Amino acid sequence: MIITDILTGALRSGTSVMLASQGELISERAGVINLGMEGSMLAGALGGFAVTVWTGNPWLGTLSGGLCGLIISLIHSFLVLSCGANQLATGLTIMFFGIGVTSFFGRSFVSEQIVGFNPVPIPILSDIPFIGDVLFNHDPLTYLSILLVPVLWYVLFRTRLGVIIRAAGEKEDVLFASGINPLLVRYCAVLAGGFLAGVGGTQLSVAYTHSWVENMTAGRGVVAVALVIFASWRPAMAMVGSYLFGAAQALQLTVQQQGWPISTFFLFMVPYLLTLAALLIVERRKRSSMPEALGNVFSADAGG
Amino acid sequence: MKAGTSLTVMPVRESFLSAGRLRKIGLTITVFLAPFVLYGLFLLCYEVNPIELYWSMLKSTFGSLFGFGEVLLKATPILLTGLAAALPARAGLINVGGEGQLIIGALFATFAAVFFLDSAPSWVGIPLMLVFGALGGAVWAGIVAVLKTAGRMNETISSLLLNYVATHTVSYFVHGILKDPAAFNWPYSPQISWQLRLPTITGTRLHIGFILAILLAAVVWFILSWTKLGFNIRVLGGNKLAAQRTGFRINWMYVWVLLAAGALAGIAGMIEITGIEGRLRSTTGVNYGYLGFLAAWMAWNHPLRLLFTSFLLGMIAVAGNTLEIGSGLPASSVQILMALVLFFLMGIARRLRS
Amino acid sequence: MDRKHPGEVLLRTSGLTKRFGSLTANQDINLTVQAGKIHAILGENGAGKSTLMKMLYGVYAPDDGEIIMDGEPVVLHPPMKAKAKGIGMVFQDFRLIPAQTVLDNIALAVGKGWRFRRKQLRERIMEVSAKYNLAVNPDAYVWQLDLGQRQRLEIVKVLLMPGTRIIIFDEPTSVLVPQEVEAFLQMLMLLRKNGYGILLITHKINEVMACADQVSVLTAGKMVFHADTMEGLTPEQLIAAMMGDKQITNVEKLDTGAADEQEVLRLEDGEIVGDHGNTVLANVQLKLHRGEIVGVAGISGNGQRELAETLFGLRKLKHGMLTVKGKGISGGPKAFIDAGVTYVSEDPLKESVIPGFTILEHMVLDGMPVKEKRIGIDWQGARQMLEASEEAKALRLADLNRRADKLSGGNVQRMVLARALMRKPDVLIISYPSRGLDIGTTRTIQQHLLDLAARGTAILLFSEDLDELFKLSKRLVVLAGKQLSGPYDAAEITASEIGTLMLRGESA
Repeated sequence: MIITDILTGALRSGTSVMLASQGELISERAGVINLGMEGSMLAGALGGFAVTVWTGNPWLGTLSGGLCGLIISLIHSFLVLSCGANQLATGLTIMFFGIGVTSFFGRSFVSEQIVGFNPVPIPILSDIPFIGDVLFNHDPLTYLSILLVPVLWYVLFRTRLGVIIRAAGEKEDVLFASGINPLLVRYCAVLAGGFLAGVGGTQLSVAYTHSWVENMTAGRGVVAVALVIFASWRPAMAMVGSYLFGAAQALQLTVQQQGWPISTFFLFMVPYLLTLAALLIVERRKRSSMPEALGNVFSADAGG
Repeated sequence: MKAGTSLTVMPVRESFLSAGRLRKIGLTITVFLAPFVLYGLFLLCYEVNPIELYWSMLKSTFGSLFGFGEVLLKATPILLTGLAAALPARAGLINVGGEGQLIIGALFATFAAVFFLDSAPSWVGIPLMLVFGALGGAVWAGIVAVLKTAGRMNETISSLLLNYVATHTVSYFVHGILKDPAAFNWPYSPQISWQLRLPTITGTRLHIGFILAILLAAVVWFILSWTKLGFNIRVLGGNKLAAQRTGFRINWMYVWVLLAAGALAGIAGMIEITGIEGRLRSTTGVNYGYLGFLAAWMAWNHPLRLLFTSFLLGMIAVAGNTLEIGSGLPASSVQILMALVLFFLMGIARRLRS
Repeated sequence: MDRKHPGEVLLRTSGLTKRFGSLTANQDINLTVQAGKIHAILGENGAGKSTLMKMLYGVYAPDDGEIIMDGEPVVLHPPMKAKAKGIGMVFQDFRLIPAQTVLDNIALAVGKGWRFRRKQLRERIMEVSAKYNLAVNPDAYVWQLDLGQRQRLEIVKVLLMPGTRIIIFDEPTSVLVPQEVEAFLQMLMLLRKNGYGILLITHKINEVMACADQVSVLTAGKMVFHADTMEGLTPEQLIAAMMGDKQITNVEKLDTGAADEQEVLRLEDGEIVGDHGNTVLANVQLKLHRGEIVGVAGISGNGQRELAETLFGLRKLKHGMLTVKGKGISGGPKAFIDAGVTYVSEDPLKESVIPGFTILEHMVLDGMPVKEKRIGIDWQGARQMLEASEEAKALRLADLNRRADKLSGGNVQRMVLARALMRKPDVLIISYPSRGLDIGTTRTIQQHLLDLAARGTAILLFSEDLDELFKLSKRLVVLAGKQLSGPYDAAEITASEIGTLMLRGESA
């Protein structure tokens, strides 16, 4: 069934973006925008792939991918938080750096093959017609990413830790007055974001495509950042947006298979156009729910 | 980073070589050298002699006409896309859409060349292609402008996303109506007519496009430093509140600045077609947009300093080719060097400002 | 909270002093806070009240003197230490996160660790809330709360912090409507009954009379008056202590010149809303006439900024009609500028100064009728014009080549003023023009304002300096209690009466 295929593909394709956008969500909630997510994702994709090739263990690969993503975001957090650099410009440079670094180190992996993660159908549940295929026939990382959403929601909105993270992004002096250092909170948030982006990248190379190609994320990191805005900084909406993006990608395959007369290139464009459209629609709402600290990054002059 | 300090032609404010200034220059130089040192260590791990590489980089650039031409060849589009980033930055906007604006400009120019200007004489064809290139880039940047002023969407994100859209748009045409029948797997457009190609300087591959780029940089500098319009742009970039207080039409200014930026990048695209390749691919001018952006930041968005930074990046880019030929490391590895330079500059930007 | 015996000294300061560079904000302050007593601190803006509170709350460390609690000198800096010692502060500007709920805000302040027991905290909130009549809804978002509710939340927060014994209130009733004030005072007295030591910073004499046990008056950083009992104390005595000598000396009235009766600006039934959606001023009637200076008196924070912004097009009127030179006006600053209105704001560094630009460039930006050399700017001509200009010379405008963002506050002020004066506007709205300037420059500015008025400009002058207001204004209005009262003829009303209007707050 076409719809089933698209939905299943939406989840599989969207997971990498979803992980990155959940990570970016944490970072932005704390007040830091990280356009370098693209770099973190690529680092994770390559790192995870490489370690999986070397050790044959995709879980080890996942951990390494996450760490690679974290290291990249460490550069961003250092430059932005400790050196006071402009967030947008730094993020872009990191993106550029990430593409360059991974292209370079990834040369020898381009034709490697791995087993990686394969879809693991959940017994019984995956036999349910329609829903079974769509929801319960995925690789382990996708399952984990779905579980991440309620966990993240819980931490952000039901624990004091979440209050602290959000306070860093809203009114850091109130946080400081409570004896907690906002800078530290931001560092942790950005690093956590980088880790998740790295894992997202790993899912892309180790679970989705089982290969490494240079610049394979093709802007997913950027989309992830845009989706966080679209989602009004809420985990559930970020998930929806990511799967929408995934669906647009899955649509490409379906169109090709079905032989519909839509240009593939137009389909390639759709995910990005969709993201733009989504951003436009929520523009009104965005102003009120944006973490205050981000407002300065966006609305101020190009200054840092 | 705040819009760069204005270099209006005014009497010098403080003694040129005051202690503070010297310290800043010293810091800048150290920070410039550090990434080369780091990169050098990186090269050593691959048994490449960095001193040799840097030396050959300098030698080929300044030692031979051909080498110099190669650097200018690469620096030209970087300069133009750099202007496309720097000009809006002075007004307080971050335009990262140079990539997309360049390639759409190239698209428009190629379109015109292939379908209308086939048999037009050079003195008609080339200027017209220039216009089309500028138009294409302006249109693409115009989308960003509309999204920003009417949709209140942040221009960084929209221009970034549009880059990806642009690539696919060009692919669409290059696989479709702009496809050269002789091409197979990696399609490209047909060659544009010979008379539409930019004349080159003998002994090099360098085309006269570089003169145009330098001229445009001078024009942008002149406008920013000497005219009322430029003054207003700098005010807007310096303090948006103050601009509002003075009653500026801010949205109107944003639109024009972005259109101009797009036009500049589009011209870069046109130059890539007429000066170098002679045909359009979906990978035409790839990375120049980002490199231009980086060059602009390195130059603190000042058009004249941009001449130097784009030259520098051009040198590094050419060095990448040398690297590849000499040691087998991919040319793209110099991207790492470029990013390192920028990291260091960003790290101390705050300290230099104060 | 363990009940202390009423009257027991919880905190005592001795010779407390704080300096900022050459400015002594607090000099040799001695005060005590006793359990079960309310100690009121009175003083004008700039008297040093907030500095004193910041030292007691641990934001600043004193330069001299001691703070003694439980018989021993203590260090209260940083704020965590003050909190640990049981000092809680209810701020005037609230330390709250609007985007989060009441429960979250309290959990942040009161909790420890990364989790918190929601149900438990909820119960404790309800408990305190009921005890002191401080109704709060734990699940409401702070941005939904009005100022009175936010204050209640702040108080609950302070009460829930473990070990609180002293509570400092900073101008608590400035955000409350009259009915809420009554409830607030009741709550204060309940807190007193329960043994808390209370420091009440305020400028409202009637409240002090209603509930304080002790009162101290701060003026220019020194404690000029103190009473350990309210017996026999009259409000007039307190006002006199606060106003200092200004009461007595004859304010020199400069010749304000003859003024036309031609109306240039009128605001009718104006209602002005603040940044949080709260009504800042209501029922404003204001008229400006050609060549007259109208002075606006009032304690800072009573709507001065919002009113000025409204009269320049930076803020929309919620209700009412604004006309300039007989024509209704709407739109942004450009429309107002074109109509001949100029505004000199109170924070020029943030709002008018452009980083990296020189003074010359600032002057050209907005002020001088500069001849445009085709597309360029005639810098030479501008420079000559400036160097020859009276205003610039008199104001001792700094060297034109200096960067404006590197100037001292006074020099920035001079630049912004010169710019405004050179435009020769029809209406000039000016906020706190001589703040931070020396006497000589102040006199010069004041003379210039008078000259400007003599030449026909209508001036609306916001100032905290009653001297200045009386010197320059033909008429005075007072912003207090969300109202604009006046106009009063400056020649007929006395400083004391204006002072009372400012301090009493609510108009009858």
